[in-house]
Amino acid sequence: MMKNSLILVFILLLTITIITTYISNSFSVTAFFAALIMVLAVFKFLLVAFQFMELKKAHSFWKISLIMTLGLIVVLIIGIK
Amino acid sequence: MESLKINYKSIYYPPGGILMWIIIFLELITFGMALVAFVYYGSENATVFHQSRMQLNTAFGAINTVFLLTSGFFMANAVHQFKENNIQKSSVFFKLAMLGGFLFLALKSVEYYHKIENGISLDTNMFYTFYWLLTGFHVIHVIMGLVILAWTNYGMKKKNSDTAIEDVEACAAFWHMCDLIWLLLFPVLYLIF
Repeated sequence: MMKNSLILVFILLLTITIITTYISNSFSVTAFFAALIMVLAVFKFLLVAFQFMELKKAHSFWKISLIMTLGLIVVLIIGIK
Repeated sequence: MESLKINYKSIYYPPGGILMWIIIFLELITFGMALVAFVYYGSENATVFHQSRMQLNTAFGAINTVFLLTSGFFMANAVHQFKENNIQKSSVFFKLAMLGGFLFLALKSVEYYHKIENGISLDTNMFYTFYWLLTGFHVIHVIMGLVILAWTNYGMKKKNSDTAIEDVEACAAFWHMCDLIWLLLFPVLYLIF
């Protein structure tokens, strides 16, 4: 049997992927939409890391380090864009 | 047989192992710095980057994202089944995860073929220099991941296999890392310019 939590996360990931692609194809990508797309990408990244890779079970050091590293990269991307 | 237990709360053993997570952080920082540089050059050459981005097939990028996410979903299930000592089921999920990887590579090959056919190369402009290098290095990671998955799956199905949960988790962590990198590459290369 597949774990229900994994199925829910998978459906959520697919939904967000469709939403971000729709936004990019349907609207002129302004700074706001670019930031929105990146925030949704961060959400997907954290879902994969915490749920699929089971980082949720790890020591806080690893969780905080990943969030800070990812946060820094995405803040720089949004800021420069 | 009882389920296998590991103390993941130890700072020395995140799921996948400390060495694998050091690699994941190094990869994340390397690709992350390259993406920041890409966006910086994009802000300097906004028109070129927008025109180049519009030449990319967003549908291919989105479908490849679905392939990798689906593959990652199967990989997570493979680890779950291995922990429950259902080696046969785990092996089936391993193969499904590999199928996702092969589909990703197949579609990427079609995308590369179209670009080469249209004369788009590393030298076309700054956008495509980054495009080829970033997606190319990512493809190398996916190929390496497939080799690791195939090798681990072969090892765990052998009689008197000594494949431990730590091996399967490390293998899965590497495979998910390919997902994570792509989840940053896709929006930056295909969507935001």
